[in-house]
Amino acid sequence: MLEALGISSVEQLFTDVPKKARIGRLGVGPGHEEPDVVRAVDQLLERNKPLSKFANFLGGRVSARYSPAAVDSIVSRSEFYTSYTPYQPEASQGMLRVLFEFQSLWVELSGLDVANASLYDGATAAGEALLFCRRIHEGGKFLIPASLPWEEKSVLQNYAMGPRLELQEIPYDDRTGRLDLEAVRTAVAAGDVFGMLADVPNGFGHVDEGVAELKGILGKIPLVVSADPLSLSVLEAPGHYGADVVVGEGQGFGMSPSFGGPLLGLFACRHEHVRSSPGRIVGATRDVDGRTAFALTLQTREQHIRRSRATSNICTNQSLIALAFVVYATTVGPRGLAELQRSLAEKARTLASALGAIDGIQAPRFDAPYLGEFTVELKRGTAAEFLDRLRRRKVLGGYSLADPRPGASSSGERILVAPSDTVGPKEIAKYARAARTAVEAVGRSA
Amino acid sequence: MTFRQARWDEPAVWDLAPPRAGDAPPEIPGIPDRMRRKEAVRWPELGELEVVRHYTRLSQMNFGIDTVPYALGSCTMKYNPKVSELLARRPGAADMHPYQPEATAQGALEVIWRLEKILARVTGLSEVSLQPGAGAHGEWAALLMVRAYFRDRGELDQRTEVLLPDTAHGTNPASAMMAGFSTREIASKEGCVDLDALRSAVSDKTACFMLTNPNTAGLFESDILEIAEIVHGAGGTLYYDGANLNAILGVTHPGRMGFDVAHLNLHKTFATPHGGGGPGAGVLAAGEKLGPYLPVPRIVKNGRKFRFDYDRPKSIGKIKTAYGNFGLDLRAFVFALTHGEEGLNHVSRRAVLNSNYLGLKMGKYLPRPFRTLVKHEFVLSGVPLKAKGVRTLDLAKRLLDEGVHAPTIYFPALVEESLMIELPETESKRELDGYIAAFERAVTDTPENLHAAPRNLAVGRIDEVLAAREPRLSWKDLRAHPAKVETPGPVPPAP
Repeated sequence: MLEALGISSVEQLFTDVPKKARIGRLGVGPGHEEPDVVRAVDQLLERNKPLSKFANFLGGRVSARYSPAAVDSIVSRSEFYTSYTPYQPEASQGMLRVLFEFQSLWVELSGLDVANASLYDGATAAGEALLFCRRIHEGGKFLIPASLPWEEKSVLQNYAMGPRLELQEIPYDDRTGRLDLEAVRTAVAAGDVFGMLADVPNGFGHVDEGVAELKGILGKIPLVVSADPLSLSVLEAPGHYGADVVVGEGQGFGMSPSFGGPLLGLFACRHEHVRSSPGRIVGATRDVDGRTAFALTLQTREQHIRRSRATSNICTNQSLIALAFVVYATTVGPRGLAELQRSLAEKARTLASALGAIDGIQAPRFDAPYLGEFTVELKRGTAAEFLDRLRRRKVLGGYSLADPRPGASSSGERILVAPSDTVGPKEIAKYARAARTAVEAVGRSA
Repeated sequence: MTFRQARWDEPAVWDLAPPRAGDAPPEIPGIPDRMRRKEAVRWPELGELEVVRHYTRLSQMNFGIDTVPYALGSCTMKYNPKVSELLARRPGAADMHPYQPEATAQGALEVIWRLEKILARVTGLSEVSLQPGAGAHGEWAALLMVRAYFRDRGELDQRTEVLLPDTAHGTNPASAMMAGFSTREIASKEGCVDLDALRSAVSDKTACFMLTNPNTAGLFESDILEIAEIVHGAGGTLYYDGANLNAILGVTHPGRMGFDVAHLNLHKTFATPHGGGGPGAGVLAAGEKLGPYLPVPRIVKNGRKFRFDYDRPKSIGKIKTAYGNFGLDLRAFVFALTHGEEGLNHVSRRAVLNSNYLGLKMGKYLPRPFRTLVKHEFVLSGVPLKAKGVRTLDLAKRLLDEGVHAPTIYFPALVEESLMIELPETESKRELDGYIAAFERAVTDTPENLHAAPRNLAVGRIDEVLAAREPRLSWKDLRAHPAKVETPGPVPPAP
């Protein structure tokens, strides 16, 4: 190739980089052969203690559920995972059809009309939903539950930052953990509200019936419901009680937790608003011979065409994780999903009643109904200390709901507890024993 | 090369076993009636083999790097090493919850910490975060950092403008808008930033100049040091879009060029798979000025222990759940360990050699609008084809019939009928010559054949106008408009 180009060294192809801009060595060390890399990385990974070494009660937006081997087998097909965004639809019908099925599934689960082909994760999907609401409704304030996880609040604050929008927190009832609907009424009456987000289950794990009343209070103000997809196998589709947008985190369908990523942002809205919606969308059409075919569509909303007037800057999304989502749901089936949610809820109830019997622990902290997770509040000691004592007994007991940033306000030593599908009666009993020992130890040292 | 893509007459998943009107899902104690789903989710119940066969057949109607070369410019579609797939599925990587205690995740934290250190070297910017979900997410977060920086200096109300060249990726202006800035495009001169135009555009309103170098025309912005001086002289910040970093690994870096903040796409330069559109993995790298504003948590090392550090008062906070796409970060780490200094140096040299060789050979058939010394990619114009009634779109479709992926088309917009071509370092000379031969056959084919392409794929030319005019975006839409659904017609004989 050098000869064809009439040069003797490849360095001659870099004469356009001025000398003053050149660098010396990077200083990243030498390369390694594959077996050595495998050994080195395995040594590093062995310093991790994977969830399988523990009785696992960690949940929240990221979950560690068993995924049938068929799911990873399909996701590992390199025709899928080594492909790019389907810019040439004729060559990419496979992925386009997968994404169309994925969109259709989120439409069925959410009860809305149109789903996009995925966003980065549930939190960024909520952020995009905030901006979407502002495009379809005037105002400067967005209402969010005070019970929303701190991470999601922080992400939403960042999405609100650019257009200088304000987040207003709606307090929750201290006994039930449910949204204070009177506070919503007051905020709406005060005006300037362009949207509201509520989550199902909420940040404490509870299913708040009041969410179904929000649309009646909000009227024309758009309602965003952030819903756990598994819960929607047994819960009413939010589109049926007035949600204008339904977002969610989809990682739990077929993907391992992978220390927090990749995740999957779900987004659905109504037909009349689709042209204001973010992200890529696949549509059905036909080819020159009249055969049904699929292509990315409504692209005039997008950054590569509309540039600074685009509805979002989304370019890369989470297509492969969307594939995992739809293959998981189809392998498990709607009945299997509902049964899984039922069994997780049963485990959560069993554990909550065992923990609730321990002096020094309030479990569940709130009275509203719940599915697979609930909040515990410690009356003595800190969440960090409690969880650390449990960990030493091989129990991952959940995670602290407190914002870890210095100076952040705290509302007690609260822990979100979510029995994973791998725990059974033995592990639940183990948690209860370890919890009793932990609070007793704190009591002695206090 | 003779090529035929699989053409399965495969029904949609719901037509494999049409779901009946469902029974109610099981009742869960305590859940109020109003919140209960009355009918099971409308989705098919299938056996595992049916599911596997369905999605395997769909996979056979999809291009991927493992089967074809992907000449998409600015997408850097390089080989995704298999060893990374293996390691990312180890329990110590996959079976890890982001909120498990630090003490149980020391290996994961060290992977992140060490990759950040490597990327700090590669970018010449000392502070790195792996939190962004993808490149565009990093762009937006970087501009929020710029925003916070000017807020702290009391200049936020004044510095409202983001400048960018007309060659910028569409994500740049879209990210700037989302971060609350207005944008102003600067016309290029011979494919590069026009210094005079930049000088007259900068002012005390300038918050940031966003630049890709090499740019989307494949040209290295040789005036980069002057550009940095002009932008900094006006009190603005300089942003590096790392989409095209592959061309300059070990040659120069954003830090040396004078950039204050950068994003990288690990799914491009560091070979993590792009999965049909995502996941990606974004990186934010910043120098001293903007480093304190990076998202939390940062990962720090105390003695031999790694921990999350949330004590960053100037941080913009969180931009995403957890710490980024760890599964992809691990793959990028494997790529970096495998390559090392020499390997990374080789990547840029070979990528640039490939591009110049392709440019030389393919430039015989279509004009090259800019100078011929290019970096990782180059641009051709399909304008001469218009004389025979052929457009760049037809050429792209005809290339697909050769069993190769088409270049990026109609971008950059400053070139009429443009094709942007990039075949990265993992493509051999034999593959390049194969691509050139395919291109020759395509570009010299008759207008009739070019218009009729593609004919060797699962479907023929797709009516994208219809897709947008009568949007049918889900199974629900197909049910609502059954009359409009076309039944698959007879498969036309292959030519």
